Amino acid sequence: MERHQTSVTRTPLNSVVVQRRSKSKSYRQSYRSCLGATSRLGFTPALTAQRLNASRRAPKSHDITKKVNPEHLNLLMKTEWQLSYVTPLYQFRHTQLKSYSRQLSAFIAAEKQQGFAVEVDGSHSFRVSFSVVQGMVETDHDAETILIQIHSSPAFARQDEPQKSVWRGCLTCINGNPDYIHSLLKDFICLPLFGSSGPQGLTSLVKSWFQQTFDCYFGPLEISNTSLQWLVALWTNCHTESNIQHLKMIWTLPAVPPLQVTYSVNPEDAWELWSSVRKAHQEENEGGEKAKDEAIVDIEEVMRFMQCLKSHFYRHFRLDLSAGSLDQVSTALGSAKSNGRIKILNSKYMITTLTLLTECALLKMPI
Amino acid sequence: MAAKLNASESLDCSDSSSSNDQSVSNRSSNRVAEKERRKNEAEDPFVLALKYFSDVEAGTPHQGNDDFENNLALVEKVAYSRGLPPEAISIMLEFAMSLRMGTSPVVRVLKCLIPASVVPQDAIVRAVVWLGISKITAGTQVLFIKWVLTIFDMIDAKDQLRAVYGFIFSFVTDENLCPFICHLLYLLTRKESVRVFRVRKLLDLQSKLGRQPFLLHLLSLYKVFCPELVTLSIPSRMRSGFRNHNSPWKSTLIIVQKRNGSQLASIVNPAVTLKDKTSSRKRKHWHLEIPALSSAVNKGAQTEPSRRKVVPLVQIQSFAQLLENMHRVELPAQMGSLLGSSLALQYLDCVQDESALLRLNFWLGYALHEEFLFCSDGGASQNSEEALQLLDKLLSAHHFLQEGFSSSEAFLYKFLNVWDGSLLRPQILGLLSNIPVVPSSQIGQLLFEPLMQLFFTSSPFFKCGLMESLNNMLRKWLTWHSVYALEDDLDISLNSHTSINMTLSGFKDSVMELVHFVGRLATIGLQLEGCHSLLFNFILDFYETVCDMFLKYGLPLIVMPPTGVFYPALFATDPVSVDRLAYIMYRYKVNLTSAKSQEKLTEQAFHISRQTFREFNNYLVFMVNCLWNSKMIHLGTDIQLGEELLLKSNVPQYWASFDLIHHPAFMNYAVDFHRRCWPGRKDMDINSIKHSKPWGWYLEYLFTQGYDGLKLFIQSNISRQLPAGDGQGDKLSTDER
Repeated sequence: MERHQTSVTRTPLNSVVVQRRSKSKSYRQSYRSCLGATSRLGFTPALTAQRLNASRRAPKSHDITKKVNPEHLNLLMKTEWQLSYVTPLYQFRHTQLKSYSRQLSAFIAAEKQQGFAVEVDGSHSFRVSFSVVQGMVETDHDAETILIQIHSSPAFARQDEPQKSVWRGCLTCINGNPDYIHSLLKDFICLPLFGSSGPQGLTSLVKSWFQQTFDCYFGPLEISNTSLQWLVALWTNCHTESNIQHLKMIWTLPAVPPLQVTYSVNPEDAWELWSSVRKAHQEENEGGEKAKDEAIVDIEEVMRFMQCLKSHFYRHFRLDLSAGSLDQVSTALGSAKSNGRIKILNSKYMITTLTLLTECALLKMPI
Repeated sequence: MAAKLNASESLDCSDSSSSNDQSVSNRSSNRVAEKERRKNEAEDPFVLALKYFSDVEAGTPHQGNDDFENNLALVEKVAYSRGLPPEAISIMLEFAMSLRMGTSPVVRVLKCLIPASVVPQDAIVRAVVWLGISKITAGTQVLFIKWVLTIFDMIDAKDQLRAVYGFIFSFVTDENLCPFICHLLYLLTRKESVRVFRVRKLLDLQSKLGRQPFLLHLLSLYKVFCPELVTLSIPSRMRSGFRNHNSPWKSTLIIVQKRNGSQLASIVNPAVTLKDKTSSRKRKHWHLEIPALSSAVNKGAQTEPSRRKVVPLVQIQSFAQLLENMHRVELPAQMGSLLGSSLALQYLDCVQDESALLRLNFWLGYALHEEFLFCSDGGASQNSEEALQLLDKLLSAHHFLQEGFSSSEAFLYKFLNVWDGSLLRPQILGLLSNIPVVPSSQIGQLLFEPLMQLFFTSSPFFKCGLMESLNNMLRKWLTWHSVYALEDDLDISLNSHTSINMTLSGFKDSVMELVHFVGRLATIGLQLEGCHSLLFNFILDFYETVCDMFLKYGLPLIVMPPTGVFYPALFATDPVSVDRLAYIMYRYKVNLTSAKSQEKLTEQAFHISRQTFREFNNYLVFMVNCLWNSKMIHLGTDIQLGEELLLKSNVPQYWASFDLIHHPAFMNYAVDFHRRCWPGRKDMDINSIKHSKPWGWYLEYLFTQGYDGLKLFIQSNISRQLPAGDGQGDKLSTDER
């Protein structure tokens, strides 16, 4: 029994930055949610000392189509990925992908017909291919992205029929925290973000093969409230370069029965609001750092932007969205859900989004 | 046992005879006895019966053959009562398998082959050869293999059997024998026996016969030895092991073994367990499952150049084996699996392989985070059996290695902030006490803040638990210090695994922080709980560690307890607390004096602040005055109580109300002593104990009640001048400065 209340509102042009008491939850608290139920401590003694960045570069239109094989790019985009975090892979070699493909397909075949042993080189109904997505790195210490595809022939396929792609997964690390990556021993490859798309059964098989082969472990990666808000701001920020078409947010409010609010904002209005927030913030911080500020988006700006959106909604519907939680964000650039599903629709801004997600994944690392 | 061995030895030289237990009397058998025995043996009907079976010609009919019937009956009788000696087994097996009298007696003979001690492997090898060439019926062949499986552990050696592994393997194609041959092969397989063509053969069979457990078990063993040859997944719910086939012999074997008082291993129970039961756990708690110990499949990359022989850890069964193969142990695919095996932990501790440890830490941290912090399954599994088991395993690993893993430390820093203080309390407190030294700059934020909140909002029992845990923590820190601190080079590396390097002063700061923190907790805790005597006990435990830091652990640091602990302990109503305080004060004194003398001796020794001495002296003077001199003198101390306020309380002679007689903790002893000392007296005047002589007796009496702390305290601090009047003349021998 969910009441759906949809509202499409136009943001007034002369929207003022409204300061309210409950301006926002403190950042610290939002980090907590980023770590699941974890503490406010970002500190762990041995390796990590990190939390979600409080400021990040504004997304620049990044033409990675030149760097990256378009075929691979196509596979990475337009797929809704279910995200997980992965602890560093032990003795993973980018040079051994062929052998991994063979081993994984044998493993899947063996698991599928549990109990029947299978010869390593036999032909299987599942064909696995590992490939490196060349160019999908931002810095030198990022490990190259790995794309895994599983093809299978349908049960009653003709001989010549091509195998169909049934499952896809990728392991990536974009702009990973260099301190963390360097603190690892050289036997470990850090590819903390794992996205999968396809049947659950295959996902868990691939995961368990990775666990057994590289002694790494997979845990679910949710996209926290703060991260979603970051995405709202970062995507809106792109509007002038690439039309975001719409800014749609879905909120859940803790009422009985739960109230779901779909809040769509006209892209022009969103952009206006965002740029006014940016301007106000930059004026506040007037003092030497102006030049640098152009490219940097600060968490305070994000929070203020969200606050404005919320207060606008409040003015019209007398409903304070800050009582609820942001569940889903979507624009023409992509969509993200709090349960860890993400879809990227525009390759230009992919890097920014993946950077944020890599950060979230690294925050989940146990050490 | 000795007699039996003797018998079989003698049998080796007298070819065609058998043992006779009674005839062997003792080890000091001289030649005459030997001769005598041989003569006896020659006449023994059992020996004659065996002779018959070894000499009988092929083709002799057995039907209507009385000789055969009698002799076999005799052998059976011996077999079922005492079991057959090795030589007899050889003879009978040879007789049966060679089909010298046709196929019909074979089953009967096989059934009576109950070994008394061991079975010679030659006999088995010969029988296996016969299995290949003679025309034994299928059922009998199966029976024979079943027999071999049953007595497998009694076969004296297996090297020759292993040498004919290939020959035995060839029987797998026999449909009837296959399950039993697989079992036998399972028992005989070694790494060398795993070959590609054998794997192929088994796979062929599997495709023909379907997923048979016996094939699977054998294949899974092959996989253990050569994971690169077999890609196989074991079904999660596989029947554990092979079936036992010992039914025809079982009961008799037990009886015979019992009768012979055999020390042989219990009856063969070769059922193997591939995975223990826990593997059938619900899928939900997958992150809590300790990975199975399995050898790495993906080793192509790392060992290609120097293909030295490695031994997977999974194959190592004993410490001796571990020692033998120390240099070529191969770590398992998933390091998390080490947690369950002490042997593996031993290895890990020894090699100090950084990346192996990191892998283990990643798994462990992941499991702990998922279970307790991220609660990916909605916290449903918390407090579950699995979580408990994991933590218990972790604790025992900590205990075994005598240090904690860094991932569990990192986990705790986070978890303490969200812990309710009751979930798995003993385990979490156990983990807490394993935290290695925390730098003093971070100790407050990481440990003290969360612990303080927990401490002040919880029951006295939690407070006790936390005190104990902190005491253990301090003890572990001090032990590390005493182990790792080097005399000249004061830089100590306290934990090789987390590689926290610390200077001595840094370490001292951390210890001081901890001691002060516990002092604060104790002060307020005692107030909150109204000097709960159990809590007191744990607090005094802690100070027993603290007071001895210098002498016992060589740490040049002395910290006095806060007034909030000292005075409540001194005025406690139970004598145990006072006694323990006295002991602690005694140890402080010993530590301080030895530190001082050492300071005088070696110039560069550490410097104890005057403040510490002053605190100690104040406490000591007050304590002696209070207990001994019936005075309440505050020598410029921290506690000042107005004279008039005390007068107002209307307690007569308040200054004397905490001496050893009037102290609430000792009053009943004084009364008891009074009764014993002057049994006739009607009116009790316990002040009379204060006279010099009874005072001495009274002290003696107290000491015999087990108050050793008090005894040490008084003996070291008060020099009694016996002829003195009422104890007033007793002197303090404190080292005031």
